[in-house]
Amino acid sequence: MTRKKTHQAGEGRCLDILRQLSAFIDDELPEDICAELRRHIGACPHCEVFIASLRDTVKLCRHHQPPPLSAHDRARLRQEIYRAWEPEARS
Amino acid sequence: MTRRRAPQSSEAFDKLYREHIDLVYRYAHRLCGEPESAKDLVQETFLNAYRGLKHFRGEARVSTWLYTIASRACLRMRRKRKGAPERELSLEEFIPTSDGEFRLQIPIDGLTPEQALENKELREALEQAIEKLPKKYRMTLVLRDMEGLSAGETGAIMGLSERAVKSRLHRARLFVRRELSGRGIAHDDRQSHDDWRPKEARS
Repeated sequence: MTRKKTHQAGEGRCLDILRQLSAFIDDELPEDICAELRRHIGACPHCEVFIASLRDTVKLCRHHQPPPLSAHDRARLRQEIYRAWEPEARS
Repeated sequence: MTRRRAPQSSEAFDKLYREHIDLVYRYAHRLCGEPESAKDLVQETFLNAYRGLKHFRGEARVSTWLYTIASRACLRMRRKRKGAPERELSLEEFIPTSDGEFRLQIPIDGLTPEQALENKELREALEQAIEKLPKKYRMTLVLRDMEGLSAGETGAIMGLSERAVKSRLHRARLFVRRELSGRGIAHDDRQSHDDWRPKEARS
């Protein structure tokens, strides 16, 4: 079995890759650069793990939902907004 | 969502409130990180929307208009409060300085993001990481990765070029990734998904 080449942390190519990872994840890079990045990532365990963790971060952000507003708070907020706005509306 | 002129009557405003309160509250909660400040921001947003109705020409989506009002109100509210000073995030600070740091990862393999977020500690860690972001980076991350807006829409809301949005978003993601993965769960030393505490707290 061939072992992937391991880079030293902070090695030049890895740093170039790191700068472009969001554009890579978001499919914003030209195809030739994507192919080059894929080749590097496939050969570099550091970058492979790093990009996986960045992708996971984005996935978690996309799926995180705050608790919804309760019906009580929705009605109360509406009343408070009206109360604050009415004097302005009349003037 | 359709593009249209903003409503002028209180009846039409009721409709606007009903249709957008959940969107505005969700956005406010993501920016503020807790419900009470989020409710204050919702009030401020709808009050400012009332005041600005006459200036709204329907060139943007109503939701984009409300996001813009909420974002500006949020920046004003936060300026009034004491808090950590705003700072720029540089790419250099996210460059791993050791092999171990390069290989740190977030333990959600085999789980969907929804399943992973059922873990309270992971969810709270994510929320804390987002809250620690300087506000202009947090706003960019929330609009792009949480509200799902395009770089162009985010730029229009924040008054930035697409290039600036992408640059901020990249730094914000790297910041959150480092906060989440820096909790001591390394690639070759995987713990149970239920145990999300830092290594030193597990012993």
